[in-house]
Amino acid sequence: MFSITVGDDGEIQLSGRFDASRVEQAEAIFNRVNSTCKVNFSDLQYISSAGLGVLLKTQKRLSASGHSLILIRMNKLVRDVFRIARFDLVFQIDEEQSPPLKMS
Amino acid sequence: MERSFKRALTALDDVFGFLDEAMMACGVDAASAYAVNFAVEEFFTNMVKYEPEGDHTVSINVEREENRLTVRMVDTGVRPFDVTNARAPDLSASLEDRPVGGLGLHISKELLDSVTYEYGKGQSTITFVKTLET
Repeated sequence: MFSITVGDDGEIQLSGRFDASRVEQAEAIFNRVNSTCKVNFSDLQYISSAGLGVLLKTQKRLSASGHSLILIRMNKLVRDVFRIARFDLVFQIDEEQSPPLKMS
Repeated sequence: MERSFKRALTALDDVFGFLDEAMMACGVDAASAYAVNFAVEEFFTNMVKYEPEGDHTVSINVEREENRLTVRMVDTGVRPFDVTNARAPDLSASLEDRPVGGLGLHISKELLDSVTYEYGKGQSTITFVKTLET
């Protein structure tokens, strides 16, 4: 299961598994973002390279107008993938972590 | 444990369902399970991307021996594509210059102990090993 929702405050919530089969669903939201916004990972248990691609593409588009995505509340396993991808260089990543969720 | 899947993106949910079962049966820790999921998805979606034609299946075999987990993925009726030869992307590039693709194979290799590729008679075999934490 994967879901992506936008809160009243404009914060994007990701939950479940963000894999290659969910790219269109996620892009339907991310493609509409046109100013700086937070992306909350607290309920996201898994992201693959396809998901990283959606985030990077959005970040590149936003940066052209001086905006950016701010990534918050990742669990440790997801955080490790962002570290290996060296996304710290291109995203602001809030270090407050969520407890790891069980894979299911 | 072994199972075969249609070489299509729509099979991905079934692939993850199988991996959940296999990780449970093999008593794999959460971090290693994440690495296996990430790598299998990467290799599987590559197989789909480069050979979208035909109704061949991809088989995935998972075995644990002591603290080593070995995963073998076999794709038949295909041309060779050596995933171990993929060029590493420039991860230190500025945001403007960073390419959106090419990241997955690099991360997979970083998460795993080893990845090997063999090809013969129209069959690609990717074998990778992950040393488990527990």
